[in-house]
Amino acid sequence: MFPTPIAKQSRGAQITYQAMLPLALILWLAPLLAVALFSVKPAADFTTANYWGWPSSFDGVANYGKVFLQSDMPRYLLNSVLITVPTVIGAVALSCMTGFALGVYRFRANLWIFFMFVAGNFVPFQILMVPVRDLTLGLGLYNTKTGLVLFHIAFQTGFCTLFMRNFIRALPFELIEAARVEGVSEWRIFWFVVLPLMRPAIAALSVLIFTFIWNDYFWAVVLTQGAESQPVTAGITSFNAQFRAAYHLMSAGSIVAALPPVAMFFLMQKHFIAGLTLGAVK
Amino acid sequence: MHSSTKTALAAMAASLSLGFGAPASAELTGDLKIFLDTSNPAPRATMEAMIARFAEAHPGLEIETTVIDREAYKTQIRNFLTANAPDVATWYAANRMRPYVEAGLFEDVSDLWAEPAIADNLASTKGALTIDGKQWGVPYTYYQWGVYYRQDIFQELGLSKPTTWDEEKANCEKIVASGRACYTIGTKFLWTAGGWFDYLNMRTNGFDFHMDLASGNVSWEDERVRQTFANWRELIDMGGFIDNHQTYSWQEALPFMVNGDAAAYLMGNFAVAPLRDAGLSDDQLDFYQFVSINPDVELAEDAPTDTFHIPANAQNKDAAREFLRFAVSAPEQTIINDPDNLGQLPVNAQSQVADDKFLQQGFAMLSSNSPGGVAQFWDRDAPAEMAKVSMEGFQEFMVKPDNLDRILSKLERARQRIYK
Repeated sequence: MFPTPIAKQSRGAQITYQAMLPLALILWLAPLLAVALFSVKPAADFTTANYWGWPSSFDGVANYGKVFLQSDMPRYLLNSVLITVPTVIGAVALSCMTGFALGVYRFRANLWIFFMFVAGNFVPFQILMVPVRDLTLGLGLYNTKTGLVLFHIAFQTGFCTLFMRNFIRALPFELIEAARVEGVSEWRIFWFVVLPLMRPAIAALSVLIFTFIWNDYFWAVVLTQGAESQPVTAGITSFNAQFRAAYHLMSAGSIVAALPPVAMFFLMQKHFIAGLTLGAVK
Repeated sequence: MHSSTKTALAAMAASLSLGFGAPASAELTGDLKIFLDTSNPAPRATMEAMIARFAEAHPGLEIETTVIDREAYKTQIRNFLTANAPDVATWYAANRMRPYVEAGLFEDVSDLWAEPAIADNLASTKGALTIDGKQWGVPYTYYQWGVYYRQDIFQELGLSKPTTWDEEKANCEKIVASGRACYTIGTKFLWTAGGWFDYLNMRTNGFDFHMDLASGNVSWEDERVRQTFANWRELIDMGGFIDNHQTYSWQEALPFMVNGDAAAYLMGNFAVAPLRDAGLSDDQLDFYQFVSINPDVELAEDAPTDTFHIPANAQNKDAAREFLRFAVSAPEQTIINDPDNLGQLPVNAQSQVADDKFLQQGFAMLSSNSPGGVAQFWDRDAPAEMAKVSMEGFQEFMVKPDNLDRILSKLERARQRIYK
């Protein structure tokens, strides 16, 4: 078996591994640790060059207090929820249906439609920036949560369809045929036969899309412009003053903003990993 | 018929307000959309309080305020001036407003500047709001630039505030000999080097030459420009600036001054707040005007001015004009610029300056000791593209002064391309 499990290797290799592992971990986590450290420092520490040392005072409570009580952070967090949840529901619901249609029915353009969904994933989304902004403006959806949600649903459905279609293809087709023989309508087959079987895929996809959308920064900045519509990723920069970057508040804000996806990951770890591999192996 | 009655009323109100100086408050109705870039908490609260006072005086107005992150605002303004225009928007004076003025996106407000209340009291900033002989907005705050220095280090070394270039260099030699740098600076984001160039060039060649250079009328390979860089080089060769400044932001350069590794900082007045936060008292920290270099040119200062404008596509321009009048009035200027609020200098000559030694010195300097003129800062006075290329050149020069010829010829080529 390659690679050989560590437990079966020589003592020397095991010791090297055990010594390197914490080092590699610290290296990987250093930026995160720095943000965590910065978030409990007072602003003055950044003016006296005390970046990495012991905080001159522990201002964690004050910093996080400011983030929650004296800034628009709660508003931004709420916006994030109001953008992410409808997007997840919308994209997953649509892709269940497209996946079912493309996975179950054999019609002439099936493969071509499927390819179009897949091809959407290969478009670098940055090139859509100007047309999408103009489109939302024309529809009166510029600087609204609805605009952002609709765009995200449209863009994520491509990937979700690929995922769902492959999953449905892998289901035993006999189940559907048996139902058809019984005279069950197609709509009821979808609802009562296929959908219950798709639960693991739905869970995995939901977790995945939730993290994607929550962490989106690009479209948040392009399509929205204020506390009334921007999600938390774009809102973090609002701590910066005209002249000064408030490193301590930005750090505290970033940690708060990162908590929901991190919590999501730990709570739904199983689905998350399933989600990453489900589409890959048929 | 109805609309003409309205116009007549408005005209009457306008003539009344001119005659008696009373605002035409009763007439204002409808929506007033205000976009602000004052996104950090203190200025934001200041602006919101000012708008609340305005709303109280004009109960008929539905005021909707949108605060946008200051950096994001700089890119979004292009969007919203065309697509979704507010009635009032914040921006900057001088060349920074030129693209929008030339694109016809800002309203001509010369009529406001013709009113005595504004014409008499805002004279110091009129030049900065004027393009093609017309005014395109009003200022609401500005702040001084100058040298913030460690008074305690100066005392320890027996130095006094310099006023001439020779005194300046003599001081610097002693500071360097004591193992410190004369100046801290962080040129990572380039603009701090622009401040040095502003002062050295204005002191060497004067305000008018500096503006000619910013407007592309003078060659970068001109002998006078070379003289500016020769003066700059004297400080660089002396070891006057901290090492590796190209890796620091302006904020990251502050610790050198706080920890006593550098004696001074050429910076805007916004540097005072973090220096005080870091524990420097007013006995340790002081301010002086940038020294005179060429005795034949008049002193001129950098004083970046923030402004209110009415977009050409605004819906409620009457209310917007009234808001602009309100924002520059002496009482409002006194309130919004006091240390609890913006902590900067009021633009109205009738308003009070806060009891703060740096603001007092700055106000005195700008109102009585800046006969040459008031510049807006290099990246606002020069077109954006030229400012970027030239500030990259300044940074390179500060690190590798020997490259001057190559840098100047590059800037000259850029000038011929950019201004055409």
